Amino acid sequence: MGLKVGVPKETAAGERRVALTPETAGRIQKLGYDLQIESGAGDAANFSDDVYRDAGVTVLPDAAAVWSGSDIVMKVQQPSMAEAGMVKEGSLLISFIWPAQNEDLVAKLKDQKPHAVLAMDQVPRISRAQKLDALSSMANIAGYRAVVEAANNFGRFFTGQVTAAGKVPPAKVLVIGAGVAGLAAIGAARSMGAIVRSFDIRPEVAEQIESMGAEFLFLDFDNADSGTEGGYAKPSSPEFREKQLELFQAQAPDVDIVITTALIPGRPAPELWTAEMVAAMKPGSVVVDLAAEQGGNCALTVKGERIVTENDVVIVGYTDMASRMAAQSSQLYGTNLRHLLDDLTPEKDGQPDVNMEDVVIRGCTVVKDGEITFPPPPVSTSVVPKAPTPKKVEETPEQIAAREAAELKKAGSRTTMLLVVGAALLLALGTVAPASFMQHFIVFVLSCFVGFYVIWNVAHSLHTPLMAITNAVSSIIIVGALLQISSPNTTVMVLAALSVLMASINIFGGFLVTRRMLAMFQKS
Amino acid sequence: MSIGLTTAAYVVAAILFILALGGLSNQEKAKRAIWYGIIGMTLAVVATVASPGVTNLPVIIGMIIIGGGLGWLVAKKVQMTQMPELVAGFHSLVGLAAVFIGINAHLEMERALAAVADGTTSDLAGFAATIAKKSSVELGILKVELFLGILIGAITFTGSIIAYGKLAGKISSNALTLPGRHAINLAAFAACFILGFLYLQGAGLWTMIVVAIIAGLIGCHLILAIGGADMPVVVSMLNSYSGWAAAAIGFTLGNDLLIVTGALVGASGAILSYIMCKGMNRSFASVILGGWGGATAGAQQEVEGEMVPTNVDNTVQLLEDADSVIFVPGYGLAVAQAQGAVSELTKRLRDKGKEVRFAIHPVAGRLPGHMNVLLAEAKVPYDFVLEMEEINDDFPSTDFVMILGANDIVNPSAQDDPNSPIAGMPVLEVWKAKNVVISKRGQGRGYSGVENPLFFKDNSRMLYGDAKDSLDAILKQLS
Repeated sequence: MGLKVGVPKETAAGERRVALTPETAGRIQKLGYDLQIESGAGDAANFSDDVYRDAGVTVLPDAAAVWSGSDIVMKVQQPSMAEAGMVKEGSLLISFIWPAQNEDLVAKLKDQKPHAVLAMDQVPRISRAQKLDALSSMANIAGYRAVVEAANNFGRFFTGQVTAAGKVPPAKVLVIGAGVAGLAAIGAARSMGAIVRSFDIRPEVAEQIESMGAEFLFLDFDNADSGTEGGYAKPSSPEFREKQLELFQAQAPDVDIVITTALIPGRPAPELWTAEMVAAMKPGSVVVDLAAEQGGNCALTVKGERIVTENDVVIVGYTDMASRMAAQSSQLYGTNLRHLLDDLTPEKDGQPDVNMEDVVIRGCTVVKDGEITFPPPPVSTSVVPKAPTPKKVEETPEQIAAREAAELKKAGSRTTMLLVVGAALLLALGTVAPASFMQHFIVFVLSCFVGFYVIWNVAHSLHTPLMAITNAVSSIIIVGALLQISSPNTTVMVLAALSVLMASINIFGGFLVTRRMLAMFQKS
Repeated sequence: MSIGLTTAAYVVAAILFILALGGLSNQEKAKRAIWYGIIGMTLAVVATVASPGVTNLPVIIGMIIIGGGLGWLVAKKVQMTQMPELVAGFHSLVGLAAVFIGINAHLEMERALAAVADGTTSDLAGFAATIAKKSSVELGILKVELFLGILIGAITFTGSIIAYGKLAGKISSNALTLPGRHAINLAAFAACFILGFLYLQGAGLWTMIVVAIIAGLIGCHLILAIGGADMPVVVSMLNSYSGWAAAAIGFTLGNDLLIVTGALVGASGAILSYIMCKGMNRSFASVILGGWGGATAGAQQEVEGEMVPTNVDNTVQLLEDADSVIFVPGYGLAVAQAQGAVSELTKRLRDKGKEVRFAIHPVAGRLPGHMNVLLAEAKVPYDFVLEMEEINDDFPSTDFVMILGANDIVNPSAQDDPNSPIAGMPVLEVWKAKNVVISKRGQGRGYSGVENPLFFKDNSRMLYGDAKDSLDAILKQLS
């Protein structure tokens, strides 16, 4: 009998997402769990109670029933203090927690004596854990939605058009910060036809930016410690910042839409789009600030609001981009949760095992058996040390030509050498060997050559049939045995007869097997 | 039938053999090529039997019928997965026949010489008659050829038997490394050549019999010292030897058809060995001299991390999510007899509109082209079974790679770790794909005994268990 997994309705204001969708429900049941959900939990994401019932989920009347009747509770937003108070002893809570910002909440959760609390925001950023990475899934949606919001507030087409009614210039979009959200925004804006530029303080993401079809704004600055920390950008030096702002200031009058996504974990968002830059923008331009939650990248951003500045620039500071696409984000978040349950339940018996040896599970777990286990020990992202690969020196066409000529010459002189040596050997042999031998020898050498040229043309896939057929053909030795079998000497006769026998096995066996093999090769 | 007619028949037979080998350049022509071989062989045998001086017809026909029947039975019954050992086993027969014929040649030579001494050469017929006409220099050369025929024949015979045993799993496939094994081989060869020299000086048949025995031991030891991963080279090398043995016997008997055919087979085997060696980036000498040389310059890189097991459900999930799938088969597929299951899986996935292909490494399996034959047997159409060079660039754009019982041929340390014993060997770059699932019986290492860092990569998952059972389970779950 599997444990009960419960999903309450989100209580945070404006939150439309839900931690379980009918589709993920089916998958979670396969892991051996029983599912229950609070009535109406999926309404805002367009999943009605009936759809859940059809998927085999028990619908409970209120949140209290879910919290008290479930061994595992899954949520989207961090639990409120009231919700934290409902956490059952010995149960498992999986949700966003943000433990660094919510020490009180973590302490409160610890006091409830749950078996464990797993924070979806603490999934380590390693390849293996990508399928659990809820932050990435949400950031992806936020990036897309940011473009949609920008388009909604922008009074022109994104794509450039020449119509009978006149020419429309394409919109210019600047995306600052090319993390998951930034890249998603680039992709969405590009596919709507805009000209997209992007900047990130990590020069190594230039390739990713360009792969999405945007232009990477290159900053000529020697920034030695632009490295990353657990996959996120680190704060930059004041000199670098100055250069960066200069670059943005130059862009401000030119671009129509700015999407900022720069976040540094555990710190207020850096201010990258100053009031001065907003003032320099054309009327009707739009700024979408995805960092609004952490104070915003734009100086004028108001958290959770859309404002219009004096010079008619719209600044969107919504903090619930993912929630604005509740059906999609619930689906992705639900799948992340399912993957986590998958990892927690290796036996598929509905009994979770919070295995602290597993770096991924260790990373998410913030409370375990009455103790706070946050922060986790650092995880090294690369497991296998990479041997330094020597850089290949690019050759110029002249060098290639020269090298090839040299190789050809070398091969040519080698062939000449071989021919000379071979001819000398043959001549030496000819001086001692009698004519009858030399006649056979000519045949032998020529046959070797013929064999050499014929075999090189054999298709690689036919090497096994080739072996089988040469095997059959090599039993031509039967001819030798046949020539001897008429000898009056009994020993000779018997040995020859045995040879004929063995060679015949080979002939018939070899050809038959080859035929069997060749008959199997077929075209689709 | 006159000698002229016999020779004409031989010429035709030789041409037919060349056409038979040349016809293997593509799959469609190959089906015709085999008939060239069969007709050529029939022609050669009939012409020989009908040539002057060949009697004992009932014995000949009896032996051919018995031998043919046996060969037919074996060829009908053998499983496609047992092909490597079958071919190796067949080689041993040619080797032994060469030894017998060599010894016969000596006996006939003695008889002919005795007749010359008695002045009764006119009674001689067939082979003995030709010997009787030879000068003393020619007889010396004949003896050298005879010696070579027996030497190579005996090595082929025992070597093939050992290879058969290893491939059939009757003998451990680990490389046997006796102390001073090179010295042993050298001493044995030296002994053979000394005996050969004695033989030239007029010592009797015993020298040749001892040569056959010593050469037989060399054959055993040589092949025992070669590790399982090098088996493709060994089989093609033995193939080559059987050809050279036939050619040497041809010289002895003064028969051009034997020489031509022997040389063809010898060259073919030699080239195959060369191609195999290139596939493993190893020199021919290092393969033949046995074992993975222990003389690597530095310590191998330690592999850190852990192998992450997965299960059938997850694999099915990955398969369903993937648009492009590549299967990489290895020897394990042959062992598990899973070619039918993988073929069925391929069909199902293709019906769902996914791109499914196979990547074949040149030395996958235990025979050159082994995997192609297996897949062909399971009716996987050959136009999406691709070679390493054709498909290696496609891995980065592939969603899912499933490795079926292969190990060394997908080992990234061949590229990353200069101290690895397989450093520099061309490998399939499967780790560049999005997800890799490795179907494997246990946590053991490959034939080369080298640890495989692929298994520890973040995008790798291990699916433990018999490849056929796993594939069958996947088939069942795949909707």
